[in-house]
Amino acid sequence: MSWTSRLLAVPWGMVCAILFLVLIGCLALYSASDGVWTASVQQHLMRSGLGFLIAIFIAFLPINFLFRISFFVWLCFVAILMAMPFIGVGAGATRWIDLGFMNFQPSEPAKIAVIVLLARYLSQRSFDQIYKLIFHVPALLIIAITASLIFVQPDLGTGLMLIVGGLAVIFVSGLPKRYVCMGIGLLAAAIPIIWSQLYDYQKARLLTFLNPESDVLGAGWQITQSKIALGSGGMFGKGFLQGSQSQLDYLPEKKTDFVFTLIGEEFGFVGNVSIILIYFLIIFSITGVGLKAKNRFTQLVSSGLAMTIFLYMFVNIAMVTGVLPVVGAPLPLLSYGGTALLTMFVILGITINMSQNSHKEDLEVS
Amino acid sequence: MAKKRKEIQDVANQISRRMLFVGGLQISFGLILVGRLYQLQILHSDAYLKLSDQNQFDHRLVIAPRGRIFDSKNRLLAGNAEVFELVVIPARVKNLEKLLANIDRIIGLSDEAASEIIDTASKQPNFLEISIKSDLTQRELSKLAIRSAILEGVLFQKNFNRIYPQGKLLSHVTGYVSGVTAQEVEKNQTLRRLVGLKTGKSGLEKTLENSLRGNFGKERIEVNSKGKPVRFISDNLPQRGEDHQLTIDIDVQSYAVNRLKQGNSEVVELATSAVQEAITRNDELQAHINIGETMILKDAKSRYVPPESGAVVLMEIKTGAVIAMASLPSYDPNLFVGRLSNRTWQNINQHPRVPLMNRVVSGLYSPGSTFKMVVYAAALEAGIVSADTTYFCKGFFEFGDRNFYCWQEKGHGRVDGRQAIAQSCDVYFYQIALKTGIDRIQNMANRMGLGVITDVGIPEEKLGIIPNRAWKQTNRGSIWTPGETVIAGIGQGFVLTTPIQLAVMAARIANGKKAITPKLLSKEVENTDDFAPLEINEYVLREIQRSMRSVISDSRGTARNYDIDGYKMAGKTGTVQVKKITKAEREAGVIDNIDRRWKDRDHALFVAYAPYDKPKYAISIIVEHGGSGSSMAAPIARDILKFALERQST
Repeated sequence: MSWTSRLLAVPWGMVCAILFLVLIGCLALYSASDGVWTASVQQHLMRSGLGFLIAIFIAFLPINFLFRISFFVWLCFVAILMAMPFIGVGAGATRWIDLGFMNFQPSEPAKIAVIVLLARYLSQRSFDQIYKLIFHVPALLIIAITASLIFVQPDLGTGLMLIVGGLAVIFVSGLPKRYVCMGIGLLAAAIPIIWSQLYDYQKARLLTFLNPESDVLGAGWQITQSKIALGSGGMFGKGFLQGSQSQLDYLPEKKTDFVFTLIGEEFGFVGNVSIILIYFLIIFSITGVGLKAKNRFTQLVSSGLAMTIFLYMFVNIAMVTGVLPVVGAPLPLLSYGGTALLTMFVILGITINMSQNSHKEDLEVS
Repeated sequence: MAKKRKEIQDVANQISRRMLFVGGLQISFGLILVGRLYQLQILHSDAYLKLSDQNQFDHRLVIAPRGRIFDSKNRLLAGNAEVFELVVIPARVKNLEKLLANIDRIIGLSDEAASEIIDTASKQPNFLEISIKSDLTQRELSKLAIRSAILEGVLFQKNFNRIYPQGKLLSHVTGYVSGVTAQEVEKNQTLRRLVGLKTGKSGLEKTLENSLRGNFGKERIEVNSKGKPVRFISDNLPQRGEDHQLTIDIDVQSYAVNRLKQGNSEVVELATSAVQEAITRNDELQAHINIGETMILKDAKSRYVPPESGAVVLMEIKTGAVIAMASLPSYDPNLFVGRLSNRTWQNINQHPRVPLMNRVVSGLYSPGSTFKMVVYAAALEAGIVSADTTYFCKGFFEFGDRNFYCWQEKGHGRVDGRQAIAQSCDVYFYQIALKTGIDRIQNMANRMGLGVITDVGIPEEKLGIIPNRAWKQTNRGSIWTPGETVIAGIGQGFVLTTPIQLAVMAARIANGKKAITPKLLSKEVENTDDFAPLEINEYVLREIQRSMRSVISDSRGTARNYDIDGYKMAGKTGTVQVKKITKAEREAGVIDNIDRRWKDRDHALFVAYAPYDKPKYAISIIVEHGGSGSSMAAPIARDILKFALERQST
């Protein structure tokens, strides 16, 4: 490939969208800190800078290398997740590792590791094997092992997002339709069993979701205030720094999980829909790289990554608008918080890398 | 082969199809979100806007009256005056500038204040209240009330202003309150909604902030369509802050402040043309008048001079109760409560003698000869000397290639420890310090309270420096030299202490049993058993006490003229060189203090306790650039101790 066609292959739309979201994130943080340039804005910028370096580093790795180390990387994450009860921090839930400059949540990048490993495994299967259920069992096991380690932390939201992202990869790889239908049926049957396994506070959250008025001061209060903030923003919002819900602290977690609400109160429907469109620009850039690719590995990885970002966006926005229960999921690039942000940059790095290698046909043999 | 190729193509097509299918699903789910947002932000926007308005205006927080501060005899040191405050909510005002102009016409409002309000309004959300004037008089209130029709968007609020009835007398102890700062809001967002709240910025007001502030109350207001409040419903009554009683006796404090200010000079009448003329010509006098000083002095050479600067601490030996604590020059804490004008702030902040600094806890001074008790005690404890050991003073001590001079050029002849303290012989201490070693001296100084934070409750307290070999290695990066031990032997060189530490030293020497620490709150002195034992040999302490007594009782003692009638005092003078005397100056004969520039004069120090037989009070005094410890600081200490002792016995 020539130098210029390489450069043209880079998904520039995605790069610009990510940069733009980081800047919006800084403005939202500035607003959430009462119009003061606090350390958190600086932190957000510094972490994004670090993220870009990571993305560039990953982009320049040989794709065969990514392919080959995927099993090892996944093993490492499994080991870390197993060690979380001993090295993790956090009240009640051991989700984070204290790295000094930030709290690292290994379950976030673990999602990427699972997707890359699944893509490797499934892209190596012959065309006969793809149609047989037995050859999908190892893939399901990879998902089950990782997800159960995340469930016990306990972190319901991240675990479910990992499962959906992984199943998307299996679906795209070519699992026959009859098994897809069977899976959906099984899932419906399993809901009562899953319910019995939930922790009390998780059950409470789900119940609150179904009837927000039942818990006016707890999680229901968060959703009620979030809806008031969004709704009162109207078409064009109350103006930058003028959101009374956010500025008067009615809005909880406005720097992290509820940052979308803050943007909605100050920039209205127009601002919110723009944010959704920008996320879709990112999602489709990744899907586009997959559609252009000539090898299955790239196609499967890009489907998984696009699904991961879609889930981040969907779960968070559905949560703050009261469509889904409060599960504590960040909106990466906008929310203040390190791991989801860095995960986005890892995704960016892998996508750029794949865009440079989409012409290769036989990745798995080399 | 062709079959194989077709199969590959089939799978590739299927993958692409499924990717597009997933993409389609994602778009559908995305549309659900957009639909939901449309529902919230377009269809039901009005209803949510109303709810958000209710959030703004329905609940409001009410500031609790701040806890009061009293002296040991229950006289008010910091209290609250009920005032009416005029506030504006910019969201309800069409033209803020015009409104302020109207208010200016009715009650007068400085341009400075008006532009500050407009500036604040532009920086924060427009639904937050801003204070226009915080202490409306009855007259202003009625003038505004009858014109309320043209004053849309303004509210009258009952509020409390902090008052300090004692003015400048105790400002460094109480500290002051002023409006909430951006940093405080960052730590506690609720503060922003308490318009008119004042928080402690220094002194006890800052240390006791949480207890003094109390708990804010909550009330609901019903607002009519024009935004006027029609009904107040109290949900939570504010809980007033806790009152505190201090150990300070304001009478003694007042006497101590005035006595220290006067020094050895004569107070003159301000309202004479000679004095007024002197003030206009002399910047230094002018600076003192500008911060509200009313005392002007005439010194021994008949020059008009400002009052003395320095610090004094008087504390009870048994309990550690601080009876008086003053730092001079001082400032009026009442100035910080209202809107502080630029000019007033500059007068205080750019004053050449730094009135905002609390010299008692943050003034770092070489202890000079008052450090000799530490050196003597360390030498006695280590067995380097006994009470009978003598050294010969010929006016200087040769060490290495340097001469260390005694203040007494002729020398003191042969002196033992007690005589060396009494006459403050430097040569004796150069030699015993060298033999004792800096590490032992440092250890003794710490036990006496020097170089240790006293935690008296003033936030600005400094540690000072009591050096040892390890300290020099870490802080200066070089090894300790014996010459530095010699100079530390007379409390100079690296050694730096605060006036309150010197008072603690005097109290511990006099107490003899407990490691007394100073206390400002009455409730803290009720139990005196909390003090740690003072781990210094009783025989050593007896000898130090006797030596300090000799300073006053010995016919050659440096404070021989200043015993208290009816009581016996024990003490130690200190005179600290500020400017190094050059060899040429030494040969030409040293110039008298009073003939030097104020800045170049020596600091005068005195630490003491009394009565000698039954110790009651300990004191430490520093008169900045006051001349010598014996002629300046000792008589002031004597008078203050006498005043306190006589007052206590009646």
